[in-house]
Amino acid sequence: MIIVGVGGQGVIMVSKVLATICQMQGHQVKQSEVHGMAKRGGGVFSHVRFGEKVWSPTIPKGGADVLLALEWAEAMRWINHLRPGKGIFISDTQHIMPPFACRSRQRNADAAYTRETPHEILEQIQDGYAMDATTMARDLGNERAANTMLLGVLSTALDFPAEDWRDVISRFVPPKTVDINIKAFDHGREWAELVHENPDHAAEQLRRPEIAPALLSEAGEHDGDFVQLDINVDWCKSCDICVKMCPERCLKLDDQLKAVLHKPELCTGCRICEWLCPDLAITVHRDPANVKASA
Amino acid sequence: MTDAKQQTPFDVLQYLRQELMPHFLCPGCGHGIALRALLWAVHELGIEKDNLAIVSGIGCAGRTGAYIDANTFHTTHGRPLAFATGLKLARPDLEVIVITGDGDCLAIGGNHLIHAARRNLDITCLMLNNEVYGMTGGQVSPTTSEDRYTTTTPLGNTEAVFDACKLAEGAGATFVGREVTVQTPTLKNLILGGIAHDGFAFIEVISDCTEIYGRKNDLGSSAEMILSQKSAMRPETFENNIIDRPFRPNALPTGVLAHDKTRPEYGAAYRASIKAQQTKK
Ligand SMILES: Cc1ncc(C[n+]2csc(CCOP(=O)(O)OP(=O)(O)O)c2C)c(N)n1
Ligand code: SF4
Ligand code: SF4
Ligand code: SF4
Ligand SMILES: [Mg+2]
Repeated sequence: MIIVGVGGQGVIMVSKVLATICQMQGHQVKQSEVHGMAKRGGGVFSHVRFGEKVWSPTIPKGGADVLLALEWAEAMRWINHLRPGKGIFISDTQHIMPPFACRSRQRNADAAYTRETPHEILEQIQDGYAMDATTMARDLGNERAANTMLLGVLSTALDFPAEDWRDVISRFVPPKTVDINIKAFDHGREWAELVHENPDHAAEQLRRPEIAPALLSEAGEHDGDFVQLDINVDWCKSCDICVKMCPERCLKLDDQLKAVLHKPELCTGCRICEWLCPDLAITVHRDPANVKASA
Repeated sequence: MTDAKQQTPFDVLQYLRQELMPHFLCPGCGHGIALRALLWAVHELGIEKDNLAIVSGIGCAGRTGAYIDANTFHTTHGRPLAFATGLKLARPDLEVIVITGDGDCLAIGGNHLIHAARRNLDITCLMLNNEVYGMTGGQVSPTTSEDRYTTTTPLGNTEAVFDACKLAEGAGATFVGREVTVQTPTLKNLILGGIAHDGFAFIEVISDCTEIYGRKNDLGSSAEMILSQKSAMRPETFENNIIDRPFRPNALPTGVLAHDKTRPEYGAAYRASIKAQQTKK
């Protein structure tokens, strides 16, 4: 089983719960985790293997029976670790935008968020659950209980007594939050059972409009390697924000103290300068058609 | 899930009164970034300019509304929510968005805020919090952090600080969120969620007054100030490991802080009650 998410979501807590409950059923368990970038909002993952006898603590690509993701982009990052055609996919549809420091700086890398939608993924995976656990947990009273809600979904796929799950969860969550986490766990179980009976139940919930879809647009247009910066010098007030915030250090202030792109070959088109220019003086073009239109 | 509106790339220039640009804000002022985030959200929601009404109060924050190429209404100090309430009740078809500052919204306009939140009329209130009265030269505001210097706190601020989001939530706002300007796409998403919400949405934008507050408190250059915003975010999400001049002494939670879809929207309830009255006669 692979558990993934971003820093602060409780990946480690979830894997401790899983490891403990597997032990309670008399299995041998090995667990390994990486959480180095957690503090910066980066990814965290944990592998949990259980069985009569476990040799290696890590799971190769295509070898996971379960992928439990607390965040959608992390789910997409790890999805190829699932056993093809057999693995169970469980993910929160919540999007957490990575901070600049954790984004790929490759030219043409998707500067933004993964574009796969839950619908697309669920069409491909037989045993897949995508639930908006964060919102559901918030509606129950605490969005941080999203992780136990997803455990509730997982619990319907593993043949362990529900009482054991509740017992272990109570031991690992902060004492003040035991009630809400148990509530979330039961909610997750009920939800999964409803989905078993009627797959449309999940689809219903995925239709939630509001915040999620718009995240995709930021990746938006781009055409190959094309990047062009327009800097409106009449609007630039020399604040230096773009110069200091550009991850590639390819901007500078010229002798008139206006921003210029002095190393265009390094510019990846990441748009950070565009977003952060308080004077709206920078436009990053990723599509040649738009340049012509505005010229 | 994507619809046609979101397919066209966002070009901020389409939404600006370009003849008024460059805007009057000082170099590095965070309000300009908030302005972009707002227009970006408007674009993604596909709101037509003619259906958009921007109501703003007095202050540097309020003034930013004037650069938007839509129906804009620059009102009196502290009262944009009152004007917006009248407007939204008269024209429920308009998307009404209020731009206000911490002084405008919490000091002189504090009462309007709590009652707008209580009523739950479908308005989005964007409060640009720079912890100071920027426009009038840097007086203390209800959100000025402890020990900060302003022209009216020459020995450092000793007043307690308002948590505007808690205030709004306590008063009944049904969508409450906070974001820093340095996370522009995330801020855009939050504003988008607020506008899409049917009810009173209060969004606090952590912004920088670079020229006055920043200078007076030795918070560094514009770029340093925006970097240090990360210390204003949840400590488990970010650490202030870039520079050691904390922007806010106390880290604040960011993101959607409250979202209640159960309370009735005031405008709809009000119209229903009028209708009921009329059919009785
Ligand atoms: C009735 C009234 N009282 C006082 C003022 C003076 N005044 C103008 S802007 C302002 C404070 C604005 O502060 P804030 O809302 O925080 O906006 P900022 O400039 O910081 O963005 C004050 C007190 C006024 N214009 N009208
Ligand atoms: S961020 Fe904008 S205003 Fe500031 S230096 Fe760069 S281009 Fe000029
Ligand atoms: S110049 Fe702008 S778009 Fe290019 S790499 Fe720097 S921040 Fe990104
Ligand atoms: S005084 Fe402060 S808030 Fe006003 S424009 Fe200047 S930097 Fe911005
Ligand atoms: Mg202010």
